Amino acid sequence: MNAVEQEAEELTGGLRRRDPTLIDYLIEQYRYRLFRYLLMLTGQRHEAEDLFQETWIRVLEKGHQYKQRWKFETWFFSIARHLAIDYRRRRQPESLDTLLQPMDGGRPLEVEDTASLSAFEQAFQGEEAVRVATALAHLPAAYREVLTLRFQEDLELEEIARVVDSPLSTVKSRLYRGLAMLREWLKDT
Amino acid sequence: MNEEIHQRALRLIDKMQVEGLTDGEREELEAHLESCARCQEQARRTELALRAFRAAAPRFDSLLVFRTRMQVRVRAHEITESAARLRALWISCTLSWVLGVVSAPLMWRGFEWIGHRLALSRVVWITGFALAWVAPAVVAAAFIAWRQAERAVSSR
Repeated sequence: MNAVEQEAEELTGGLRRRDPTLIDYLIEQYRYRLFRYLLMLTGQRHEAEDLFQETWIRVLEKGHQYKQRWKFETWFFSIARHLAIDYRRRRQPESLDTLLQPMDGGRPLEVEDTASLSAFEQAFQGEEAVRVATALAHLPAAYREVLTLRFQEDLELEEIARVVDSPLSTVKSRLYRGLAMLREWLKDT
Repeated sequence: MNEEIHQRALRLIDKMQVEGLTDGEREELEAHLESCARCQEQARRTELALRAFRAAAPRFDSLLVFRTRMQVRVRAHEITESAARLRALWISCTLSWVLGVVSAPLMWRGFEWIGHRLALSRVVWITGFALAWVAPAVVAAAFIAWRQAERAVSSR
C-alpha cells in the first residue's frame, strides 16, 4: 500500500469511527476552500458561515457513507450543496418554486440566487475586490458554483458533475456561459 | 479571414480553459492566434478574467473554525451517548423477547386457569393472553415513536 492509499484508508477509517480529532484536522485543512465554495454558492456571508458549521457536523454524522473512489472534497462539497438547498427551503419555504425552476436542462434543484453586490464586496479582500465582487454579483449562482469548482478548486468535469448532481453536458454548458459572462464583466482588467 | 475561422478560434479559447484541447486543436489555435489580433485579444481577456477570479480571496473569520470545532465535539459526544442508549435498548428488547417466549407457556396456563375459574369463554381469555403478551412491545414501540417524533420537531 502506497502513502496515498494509506492516507485514504486512514481518512475512511477515521470518518467511519467519527473521530473528532480527524474532523479537527480536516476542518483546518479544508476550511478556506469550503468557505469560499459556500460563499460563491449562496452569495451571503452569514449563510455561508452557518452552512460551514453544518457541513462539518454532517461530515461527522455521515462520515461512514464516504467512499474512497471519490475525492474527499467532491464528497463534502456535495454535502455542503445539499445543505445549502435545505437551508433555503427551511428559511424561505415560499421560494420552493424558485428552487425547483429548471436551469438549462439540468437538475431542477438549485440554490436560489440571492447574492448581492455588497455581500461580495464585504467578503472579498484585495485590490480587485470591488471589480470581482461586481462580476460575481451579476453571475447566477449556478454559474458561480461551477466556475469555482473548476477554476478555484481545480476539480475535473466529472467530479463537478457529481457535486452538482447534473449531467456532464449541463456542467460544460454552465462553464462556457459562466466563463463568457465573467470575461464580459472583467474585460477591463 | 473567414468569420467561421474566428468563431472556431473563440470556441477553442474557451474550450482550452474548460475542457482542455487536443494536440491538433492546440496547434490550430496557436497558428491562428499568431496571425489574428482580435482572437489574441479575446484569449488575453479570458486569461486575465480567470486570473482575477482565481485571485478572489474571501475574508475568513478564524473564530468560525473554533466555533465549528466546538460544535463538532458536542455533536460527537451526543452521538456516542445516543449510540450507548440505543445499544442498551436493543439488549433490553432482546432480553424481553426471550423472556416473553420462555414465559409464554406459563402465561398461557395462567390465563387458562383464570378463564376456567371465572367461567369465561375461550375467546375472552385467549384475547386477554394475546393482549398481555404483546402489550410490552406495543408500549415500547409507541414510546420510541413518540421520542423520535419529539426529536424531529426539536431538530427543526
